[in-house]
Amino acid sequence: MRRRKKHFLFGVYDDFDKARDVVSELKVLDLKEMVVDGIELYSPIEHPEVEEILGEFHQPIQRFTFFGAITGACCAFLLVAAAAQAMFTVQPQGGKPVIPLPMDIVITYEGTIMFGVYSTIIAFLIYAGMPKRLKKYYTQKVSEDQIGVEVQVDPAKSDKARAVLEKCGALEIREVTQ
Amino acid sequence: MSDYSMKDIEWAKINRDVLASLESPRKEFWMVLSVCVLLVLCGAAAEAYQYNEGLGVALMNRPHFWQLYISNFVFWIGMSHSGTLLSAILLLTQADWRKPIYRFAEAMTLFSILTAAIFPVIHLGRVWNMYWVLPYPNERTIWPNFRSPLLWDAAAITTYATSSVLFLYIGMIPDLAICRDNATGWRKKLYTALSIGWMGRASEWMAFRKTYVLLACFLVPLAVSVHSIVASDFAMSIMPDWHITSFPPYFVAGALYSGCAAIITLFVLLRYVFKFEEYMTTEIMDKTAKLTFAIAMVWNYLNLGEYASIWYSNDMFEKEVLLEKFFGPYHWVVWGMLICALIAPFAMAFKKVRHNMWAMFWLSLVLQLGMWLERFQIVSPPLASNHEPWTWAVVWPGTVQLTITAASFGWFTMLFLIFCKVFPSVSMYEVKEMVFHRRKASSRTDMEDLSKVKDEMIKTEEGLS
Repeated sequence: MRRRKKHFLFGVYDDFDKARDVVSELKVLDLKEMVVDGIELYSPIEHPEVEEILGEFHQPIQRFTFFGAITGACCAFLLVAAAAQAMFTVQPQGGKPVIPLPMDIVITYEGTIMFGVYSTIIAFLIYAGMPKRLKKYYTQKVSEDQIGVEVQVDPAKSDKARAVLEKCGALEIREVTQ
Repeated sequence: MSDYSMKDIEWAKINRDVLASLESPRKEFWMVLSVCVLLVLCGAAAEAYQYNEGLGVALMNRPHFWQLYISNFVFWIGMSHSGTLLSAILLLTQADWRKPIYRFAEAMTLFSILTAAIFPVIHLGRVWNMYWVLPYPNERTIWPNFRSPLLWDAAAITTYATSSVLFLYIGMIPDLAICRDNATGWRKKLYTALSIGWMGRASEWMAFRKTYVLLACFLVPLAVSVHSIVASDFAMSIMPDWHITSFPPYFVAGALYSGCAAIITLFVLLRYVFKFEEYMTTEIMDKTAKLTFAIAMVWNYLNLGEYASIWYSNDMFEKEVLLEKFFGPYHWVVWGMLICALIAPFAMAFKKVRHNMWAMFWLSLVLQLGMWLERFQIVSPPLASNHEPWTWAVVWPGTVQLTITAASFGWFTMLFLIFCKVFPSVSMYEVKEMVFHRRKASSRTDMEDLSKVKDEMIKTEEGLS
């Protein structure tokens, strides 16, 4: 099946407050005329308040961390226990426990952290949608000192969205269909 | 000093300044790099000689099976601690002054671990058997002995090294994207691959921040566990002066101390070589020095506490070794350590010293010398006078060990300088965040001041009328 093409407008601003205004106005416009299909903000730094204007991001990375850590603990403990068990069959242990718990705790702890870290990284890649190719309208200015607002719009009504971007003081607007 | 210094730097200038450090360092950079390469070559020659002739040429014989190589291993592992550990702690406590200096501190961690990892291999003698520490299925069903602290070391250091690399890398992705956007040629290809398509989208930033904080939460206890385990290499034995309960916290405090001293050394070096005067400010040096001083005092307490507990326990063997350390053939090592690591840090109590970059540079070298002597006096003197008097012998490191030790410093500095030439050693996006928040806080304060003045004027007018 052929993929439906998407139409994007990308406005660049010199101030985060201007970008915030654009998003608010675009949301109002969308309520009135159903123009906007999606909004994304591009910034050289993190703005925690972005969730207030774009809505909350569902990124349960900590669940990956938790289950990764549990898996790591189990795997590490099983490894040392199995190694001790295997040694027991070929070497007499002289009355020592086959699986020595206090010693195994150290390796289990390290395994917990190692797998916890790896699974957190995997979750990061999944929820940040990486790795990916750069978008056509991406400009290096948003990695320097400007804020980008990406709007996915209905091509027939893109003029209205464009007008909003311009009204809020866009330094540059790029329009791409891909 | 203003709390809002650095608030007026333009974001574009931050990019320009840091990216310029990848292109045109001072000529001293190349001079230091050349010396380091030379040292590494000397070390490689010494190792080749030892490889062919055996460990005897390193003068390692009964009872000194552990000597300079293990001291160096502990020293470099300790050095690796401050970078990632301090970066993680300061991130979790939201101390914004960490931002211009954490990147090179984390890189320092990585290269310290890489340097430390060389020593167990060299120390092994039969380097080709190193893979025996790996738990792999084999025809004789012989597995590594997980009861041994040496194997805990292998597990802990592997976890710490991989986690530190990932922490460093994840924290660098937004900066790699900046480099990608401004680079050409092979650098463009490298940065494009490493930045994995980062564009600074809100969803990326949100996932990034969550991940970074979670990793920091893991790294703090991990760093503590790693050096505690290194301490266990000694404390789990029954050797006098090693079998001490307080060894793990003592090692962790020592690691933080030497790591902080190394951060100061590299701070001054990078500030000068890459012209980072605007980012690595006196204000940040002041805070780093205060932190180092506080950690030095913790280390002092644990060090003196260790002597006190040995003295009051009145254990014959322990006391004998302690007296031998202070008045025996290794006495100058112990006294040297006390002067360099116990007395010298008091200089940081003075503001004039903390605010003088070159004074801090030389002082940090003295502190590191003190900590290196501390590692040596932990390993060698107890071996020279252990439980078996017929094995007592005083042995000093020979040319081969000293050459390899010098080479380790060259190796570390060489890797570090190459890193700083290829990757941004100051975090551009975090410095921008710092500037952004300081500017915001400053304007808020100005507004509050203005409204106070306005209120006072209104009150005065009312009084007059």
